[in-house]
Amino acid sequence: MNILVFTKRVPATQEEELRITSEGKRVDLSKIPFKVNDWDNYSVEEAVRIIEKSGGAVTAVSIGDTESDEVLRRAIAMGAKDGFLLERGEILHDPSTRATLMYNFIKKENIPFDAIFTGVQSEDDQFAATGGILAAKLRLPFVSMVIGIDAVEKDHMVVRRELEGGLQERITVTLPCVISIQTGINEPRYVSIMGVRKASKVERKVFNAAQYEENVSSKIEVIQWVYPQKKAGATLLPADIEMACKELLGILKEKGVY
Amino acid sequence: MSYGLVIGEVRKNIFEERNIDAIGLVHLLQKESVLLIPNGHYEIQEGIINLLITVDVEETQFLNPLAMVHVLEKMITAHGKPDMIVFTHSSSGIELASYAAGYFDFPLITDVSGYDTEKKIFYKSYYSDKIFGQFYVTQDETPIITVRSGSFREHVQAKGFSPAHETIDGIPAITNRTFMEYVEEEKGDVDITKAEFLLSIGRGVGNKDEIQHYEELASLLKATLSASRPVIDKQWLPKARQVGTSGKTVKPKVYLAMGISGAFQHIAGMKDADCIIAVNKDPEAPIFQYAHYGIIGDMHKVRDKLKDILKT
Repeated sequence: MNILVFTKRVPATQEEELRITSEGKRVDLSKIPFKVNDWDNYSVEEAVRIIEKSGGAVTAVSIGDTESDEVLRRAIAMGAKDGFLLERGEILHDPSTRATLMYNFIKKENIPFDAIFTGVQSEDDQFAATGGILAAKLRLPFVSMVIGIDAVEKDHMVVRRELEGGLQERITVTLPCVISIQTGINEPRYVSIMGVRKASKVERKVFNAAQYEENVSSKIEVIQWVYPQKKAGATLLPADIEMACKELLGILKEKGVY
Repeated sequence: MSYGLVIGEVRKNIFEERNIDAIGLVHLLQKESVLLIPNGHYEIQEGIINLLITVDVEETQFLNPLAMVHVLEKMITAHGKPDMIVFTHSSSGIELASYAAGYFDFPLITDVSGYDTEKKIFYKSYYSDKIFGQFYVTQDETPIITVRSGSFREHVQAKGFSPAHETIDGIPAITNRTFMEYVEEEKGDVDITKAEFLLSIGRGVGNKDEIQHYEELASLLKATLSASRPVIDKQWLPKARQVGTSGKTVKPKVYLAMGISGAFQHIAGMKDADCIIAVNKDPEAPIFQYAHYGIIGDMHKVRDKLKDILKT
């Protein structure tokens, strides 16, 4: 089985302070470290596990600037056979443009696949949309929020989708299909720096994204970036940890839980 | 007809409460509200919609994106294109909305938590709520929106009359994606929804070896240990201890959140706690917006200090 896996290089903003610049027109990411999108890490792992068990090949695909080669090397280190980079300097904010670009690429280059795996969403924009839009354009069945793949057969898969409050639904989906993977589906393997370095020896093909941008026009645009509206917020306990902890224990006593 | 179309999410014969936010956005737009629902026996608040359309399929087929595009096609044929199509920002909402957007080539904005009626701008979260993008639709085409739970319910107004009823039938059976069964997660060793005091840990915990030290702190505090999604995803604690939309919704007397930044899926699961105390080294972490008390500092140092004090 041949699986195409999308992987994206994203800013690791979890513990970083983000600054809006140019009067709201830009978010300054110049000092932020970048990493592989968490969802894509699980998605690559899941695809590699399938081909390790039943044969075939995983190809990692990324849209981005030359730096995105890093996430392709990472996927290869995890077990992907090769990687394709659709090179594009500017970020496409509208997920429909990313999906259309992928669609055009797959059609024009006649890329063979039995399944396309994407992460449910990317950490930066949280649209959760590229997989669904692409599936519909390809007129293929689509399942998102996949938290378990129970069976992989020649012409179909049995998967579990995560719903809310601990509920899941089990679904049969025919191949070829598009699947969006949820975090927690597996335990992604450790990737060493040596492993990534070794992966550099495997060829990654670079395509100029401009060749596939027919009908790639944004349907939505950002006019301004803003900080969230501040509420009253928390009463801060003292900066001195000992004093803060004593006050914290005082609050627990007052609330009657300790 | 000028109208906003809401896709009503029904799971296990329950009309999900978050549908009210989707209806709220249509009310904010001051459009006629049309609600699509599947067959089934469940209660809905009818006085807030103008037209109620029952689609002659079961809930699991209704929420199948491959069937939903046929439903929308029939809807558009019968009533013309809506001014907006609104889904909830949920597991099924994002699946349906993205597939419909690709199928019809409509603009899509997801996880919308605000709308400016004058400027026609949607507010959408970026970078785990640290930044919001103000989006507008650049094409004269029906936008598809998924709305964040809790964002628009305040805009719902009672219409003071009963809605008109219609039905849609003749939806073809879908064979390339089929529902088999619902699966309930395994019951855990402890029911965190019953706990009065939860010590909850998140991504900041860093690595698995740290978990035991928080178990010890929980036992010293007589608290129950729970966690946010990143800890559960790494399988450092069982799924039954997860707080958030895909885990449990909790309302303890005290919720002590350590190393949790506060993604909205987590906030939705704990915001109704009587008292929320957050410990995080990032002063910009969204959780401080919801907490009653906050400590800006390293969670491990706070843990060790608390243990020192409790042991002496």
